[in-house]
Amino acid sequence: MQVFKAMFKVMRSRLPSALIYIVCFFAISAIIANASTNDNKFEAKRLDISIFDEDDTPESHALAEIIKKSNDIVEIEKDKDTILDSLYYRRIDYALIINKGYADKLRAGETAELFSSYHLDESFSVVYMGQFLDEYVSTVKAYLSMGEAFDEAVANAEDAMSQNAEVNMLSRIDKGGNSHFSVDFAGYFQYMPYILVSIIISVVSLVLVTMNKKDIRYRTNCSCLKESSYTFQLFLGSFLFVFIIWLLFMIGGMILNKEFYTGRAWYAVLNSFIFAVVVGTMAVLVASFEPKDNVLNLITQVLGLGMSFFCGIFIPVEVLSDKVLSVARFLPAYWYVRANNMIADITQFSLNEVIQCYLIQLGFAAAMVIITLLVRKVKYSGAAIGTAVKKAAAAEH
Amino acid sequence: MFMHILKYELKNGLRTKDLIIWLILFPIILGTCFKIAFGSIYEKTEKFSSIPVAIVEESENAAFRQVIEGIEKSDEPFLKASFTDKEKAEKMLDDGKVEGIIFTSDNISLTVKEKGIRETMLKSFIEQYKVREKIAMDAINTAPEKAQEVIASLTSETASSCRDIPLTQGNPDMYIQYFYNLIAMVAMFGCITGMHITMQNQANLSPLGARNNCSPVQKSISILACLTGSFILETICMVICVSYLAFVLKVDFGDRLWLVYPSAILGGITGVSFGFFVGSLTHIGEKAKSALLVSISMLLCFCSGLMVGNMKAIIAARIPWFNNINPAAVIADCFYCLNIYEDYDRFITKLITMAVISVMFIVLGFVTSRRKKYASI
Repeated sequence: MQVFKAMFKVMRSRLPSALIYIVCFFAISAIIANASTNDNKFEAKRLDISIFDEDDTPESHALAEIIKKSNDIVEIEKDKDTILDSLYYRRIDYALIINKGYADKLRAGETAELFSSYHLDESFSVVYMGQFLDEYVSTVKAYLSMGEAFDEAVANAEDAMSQNAEVNMLSRIDKGGNSHFSVDFAGYFQYMPYILVSIIISVVSLVLVTMNKKDIRYRTNCSCLKESSYTFQLFLGSFLFVFIIWLLFMIGGMILNKEFYTGRAWYAVLNSFIFAVVVGTMAVLVASFEPKDNVLNLITQVLGLGMSFFCGIFIPVEVLSDKVLSVARFLPAYWYVRANNMIADITQFSLNEVIQCYLIQLGFAAAMVIITLLVRKVKYSGAAIGTAVKKAAAAEH
Repeated sequence: MFMHILKYELKNGLRTKDLIIWLILFPIILGTCFKIAFGSIYEKTEKFSSIPVAIVEESENAAFRQVIEGIEKSDEPFLKASFTDKEKAEKMLDDGKVEGIIFTSDNISLTVKEKGIRETMLKSFIEQYKVREKIAMDAINTAPEKAQEVIASLTSETASSCRDIPLTQGNPDMYIQYFYNLIAMVAMFGCITGMHITMQNQANLSPLGARNNCSPVQKSISILACLTGSFILETICMVICVSYLAFVLKVDFGDRLWLVYPSAILGGITGVSFGFFVGSLTHIGEKAKSALLVSISMLLCFCSGLMVGNMKAIIAARIPWFNNINPAAVIADCFYCLNIYEDYDRFITKLITMAVISVMFIVLGFVTSRRKKYASI
């Protein structure tokens, strides 16, 4: 098992960079796992709003109180640049100014230009707050026109505005809690392909390229080691590395989510294993082109980032355009994400379709193996080696 | 002699594969990925558009139907309603074709799939309807003679109570700042070329350095020539990067694109100076040095928002001074200012900051690399 041992010696040199990936991934996953909630009850989104009260009357305070009930108030400096920065970077969703003379105007039944708002773009939040303000004003006006006193009208408006609509979550989502594959788990599994690609391709390909360097290959070829044994050891070493990395992530997932995989979560485990195998075959294919160290780094980044952005790993599939998705179908990560989304109940779960996704990924793996064999055949065929030897001889003279 | 060294520095740089890979190819690939990812996300999630909703009438509610039809007739309708049955509606919601289902019976209820702003707006819409119902009831109970007038005033179109104060003419898409940070990253990666300057001019760091040291050229001239060469190379990379983003990917930098180029180039110079300074600082090997530089640059880019979009705002809230000295943040801020601000005050402040940082690094680099002479054996 000398070849096998040598492989792990080479791998050790790449361990630090692989460790950086692993540590970053666990750190980010831990933060995400702690931040999200598993609750399936509907909660209205609370906007972050800054209010600049120029009127400063009991009436304007009353309005601020109502806004505060369903939104969060953020105190920021009243400086145009600060407001602009805060709006742009979404520290606040809306910057409201209650204009001077608000109470007097409202008392007189006037509704125009009671407020101003610093406007960056026509976002959902802006439309929502605009509707809310209009609604409040017209409610107060309605009570005033019933002949009520101003104070009474304001109080009644507040009372009327506290209506609460019944909101249900789509029932299928509710079952998510019983499927033993929580949204957090889904997130953990969702980002895994990027890390798997980055680590496996950069390490396995590097090792294979190193083992295949001319001098080392010649030395191995003239040893009494059988070709089949050599290939087997290479295969075993690569597979073991892929398996260890995958196992590490599975154990990490259990620790982060503080539970053992049960029920449907096993589908996701299987899914990630299949994907790890696909990436392993991809690494072998990349290695068969014998890229230089810096080119290999670039290939790793291109495959990792490219698949992550194209196939909905970094950003949800829903926001990708159809054109992108039609290209993504030709990448294995697309099918991984598709299966993962079904398992997580983000899209309708169907066992048949999940298995179909598995099979397609395995198909990619098979294709990769075939292409690798072809490349090797062309590269190391008698004719190719003959030309290479001639070239080398010519270069020496 | 200056021109001679400069010529070889340029030749050397153009033949370094690392330079082409990390300063030209990598940004192009990452930029393309960003475009794919963030190209339509703003339009799809942030910018207001009619919210598609399915309406299932469990029992006849003519008043509600009238309200919906009224809304749909307006210029910029808030809802896009489709009346259907329960089964179809749930399928539509599941497929993401609608954002919610409104069930109308005596009590109107809403079913949604997610917990976002659009769902909240639907909820608030139903609540508004209920508020109006309550007002009408109150009016009939308390002042029946005025009820007609009250209801009429509720349904009549009123002018908006809120006046918008526009803040900028620029592109409000916040996802564009990923491209600003991409340019900042390319600028910071210039530190690798900066590092090579010291590598090539110190005898104990590389064989080339040893050769250069036995030539009769003054060290300051040789370093200056190398520095100029690196600036030129970095400038080429920055121009390629910005041009690719602006013309191939069609990223909207606002209407002052001609100012984006000099800012990017100055940013590149800052990056090179940074690498020059760190390179001259310590005697560690080339691999370790470049690893150190790349990790520092990446960390600075992270703090400026290359990975997490609103990182800069988070830092601004906690340690605001850091954004003013973090070169990556300063470079990215330049493009932000050009896009968002009408006036040039803040933009010029950022440019001055960059220039000061660059000069400081260059001076420090010269100070630390001078008087390193080697006795002949």
